[in-house]
Formats: sequence, C-alpha cells, structure tokens
Amino acid sequence: MSETEPPPATAVAAPPRMVVDARGSWCPGPLMELVRVIKDEPVGTEFELLSSDEGSRKDIPMWLEKAHHELIEVRPDSGFDRYIVRKTHD
Amino acid sequence: MKRVVILGGGIGGTTVANRIRKAVEGEVETGQVQIQLVDRDGVHAYQPGYLMVVFDKMRPEETRRDESQLLHKSIQLVKAEVEKVDSVANKVLLKGGKELPYDILVIASGSVLHPELTPGFVEGAHSFYDLENAKKLRSALRDFKGGKIVVSVAGMPYKCPVAPLEVTFMVDDYLRSQGIRDKSEIHYTYPIPKVFGIDTVAQPMQRLMGERGVTVHIPFNVDKIDPVAKTVKGVEGETIPYDLLIAIPPHRGADFVGASGLGDKGNWIPTDRYLLRADGKENIFVLGDATNIPISKAGSTADYEAETVTHNVAAMVRGEAPTSRYEGRVYCWIMTGLAQATYIKFDYLHPPHPPTPSFVHYWNKVIYNRTYWDLTARALF
Repeated sequence: MSETEPPPATAVAAPPRMVVDARGSWCPGPLMELVRVIKDEPVGTEFELLSSDEGSRKDIPMWLEKAHHELIEVRPDSGFDRYIVRKTHD
Repeated sequence: MKRVVILGGGIGGTTVANRIRKAVEGEVETGQVQIQLVDRDGVHAYQPGYLMVVFDKMRPEETRRDESQLLHKSIQLVKAEVEKVDSVANKVLLKGGKELPYDILVIASGSVLHPELTPGFVEGAHSFYDLENAKKLRSALRDFKGGKIVVSVAGMPYKCPVAPLEVTFMVDDYLRSQGIRDKSEIHYTYPIPKVFGIDTVAQPMQRLMGERGVTVHIPFNVDKIDPVAKTVKGVEGETIPYDLLIAIPPHRGADFVGASGLGDKGNWIPTDRYLLRADGKENIFVLGDATNIPISKAGSTADYEAETVTHNVAAMVRGEAPTSRYEGRVYCWIMTGLAQATYIKFDYLHPPHPPTPSFVHYWNKVIYNRTYWDLTARALF
C-alpha cells in the first residue's frame, strides 16, 4: 500500500513523500517493494518505507548505496523501522 | 435485489464467486441476490501449471477448463471485456456497449503481461508465464544440447515471486537428467543484493544454488536484451551473454483499472490490506494480483483473500458492516528440482521458514494441482 502525501502548506515546498507500508511483506519483501516504486516516481521524491523485516537493516542501505539513491534516515518504531529515502537520479 | 458483480474468472474471481454464492445461498435462491461474473473468454487458466508444462509435469490441456463448468449454475457468466468501471454510478461498462449495474463490485482482474516494456524481450527471451510461451520453452529445452542458460527478472512486481528460483532448480535437474549438466552453465540474476526478498528464504536458496553450481549475479535489474548478440544487460552495467534466456516479463494491472481512475501508475488498485476494500470505495472489494498490497501475487494469496471478501460481501448484502480481516496469509510451494520441493507459509506477522526440500512436499503440490478444480475453484470443501 502506498500513498503520496501532499506537501505541507508552508512557504518552502517540501518534496513529495510516498509512504510504502511493506510491513509483513515477506514475499517478495520490503526491498523489492522499494525497488518497484522508486522506478516509477520522479527524481527528488522521498519515500517512507515501513519494514518489519530485520534483514532490511542490512539490505536496504546496501542496495541504496549500490543504486546511488540517498538514505536520509532510519527511524525505529514499534515493531518496525521507517526508512526515509530520496530518489536522486533516473 | 442486490447485484454482486465479479470482474475476472481466474483463481480469485472464480473461487470468490462460488464462495459468495454459498454464503448467501438462501438469498440467491429467492432472487434477493444476483451474482454475475465477467470474464474475457470464458476459459479458466490454472496458471501455476505452466511451469509444470515446461518440464512435462502437466499436459497443456490440464491447465484449462471452461469457466462455465466451474461456476455454480446460479452464477451468471458474462463473456466480455471490461471497458471501464463507473464507481460513481455503480456500473461496469463492457466493450460493445453493454452495462452491468452493481451494488457490490469485486475486482479480481489479475495482472497482465507486458514483455514489450523491456527492449528485446519479445524477440530474445523465453518465458513460462503464459501457456504458449511455456510450450515454446519446453521445446527449446528439448533442443538444448549444452551452453549457457540465464534466468532473469525483467520487471516488478511479478506474480509468483518464487518462480525464478523454481525454474532455476528445475532446469538444473532437467539438464542432469539429460546428461548435459557438465556442458552447461546456469546463471541466476535478481534485482536486489540477495537471491530472494528476505533472509529466511534467500539464505537456504542461495546455499542450494551453490550446491547445484548456479552462478549468481546480484543485484541485477534488466535494462535490455539484445536478441542478435544474445546478451542481457543490467542497469548496474553488467552484460551477460546467453544461449537460452528464461525471463519474467514486466506485469501491469488491467487496462480498465487505469481507465476507471481506480489504479496507481502500474494499474494496481490501492486496497485496504485487511478489509480488502478499494481505498475510498465503500462497495468495491479487490483480491488477487489486482491489489497493490505488498504481498505475493500468487494463487494462494487470492484463495485466502477470497475468504475475507466472501465474509465482507455477505455482510454488506445483509446490511451489516464488513469486519472480516485478511491477515496476510500465503502458502506457496517452491520446486527445488523435478521431483522435490519445499514451501513457504506466512502472514503479516510471521515470516516464512522453508523446511528442507523433500519428495513429500513435491507430492503435496502434485496432489493440490489435481484437486485445485474442486478444492479451490469450485470451493466444494
């Protein structure tokens, strides 16, 4: 499930952020969800990927580094982590 | 009278139609509820059988039946293509101009293969995601005398996420059975830095690939295929030559989903992961590949989801609130050879832990393939 949240009504326009709720995605897996959505969105889009898979802590940063996209932050939450990611190129 | 219209006569649409009929049997018999199922051609395809066709484990004709034989006689089968859903006026527009009004709509329109989205795919790659291509791959393997076989995923999402693993292990076993494994190489590519989406599956599968002599290229996202030079190029820069390429084509949701304004960019329908209701649509439920839920696009997913949709449709027919929740249950076998398999079973809260591959799990799959028509499609049990 994903949705694009409208930017807040402030003077400086924030980049659009898409929430990708991949909690419980054991097959194909949270990273596959991220790879899927990142292809379709414009450069500059931020993604907030929710993952309950502990393996994501290793493979999401690893893939982002290889794919040259930016990992802005990893925010632990209750039983899952939030990965804030920015698409940096097509 | 309440009108329930179901779009799609695949695994999800067929089983949910039969289950809804059973759940509101009394209302159907008295004419208070009418159930209609719309299918493009009226032919039901058991798509998990295609991989088995490639290796002569099933005959092509065993993967098809007339939809009319599977649906309860009280369900009306409408053979037509859907043009558009008007979710404001609550009606389905069919190609040719006919309209079907509905009170409750169930969308089970599956996914559509788009090999043309990857340059060179149609000319250069074999596939097993439709019956005709499965038969072509079967012939190509029969003619194969040795060389380099490459297995690749050319787009996401794709249905049956374990299928690339399965075809790799089955090809390995097949080549051994033909006495040509030592004249052949098998290369497996996957879009992320492991051979499958999560560690509990990826680790044993990668170990098995090591034991079988499969060369792994990860991460590898297919950019294009050169059918003349016989190479597959990844966006990461690597180019792999092949003698036989087996690739998973890009998938999209049904065209009418986009035309109806119900889908995202891939025509997948944003869906509540528990209630299986289309976001913002009180009377539209979605199941199977058509949803955007980040979970396997697989027959068993549609089967389990059908339980929830049935309960919720029956509740709405009776003027009650839909409260049944899909908890993310999936059960899939993974073929690890021509006559051995393991399986993954999971839900939103519990990841899979595939057991050691064995002949017993393979036979369970064979038995299911043969009982599918009654057990799942007709929902007799």
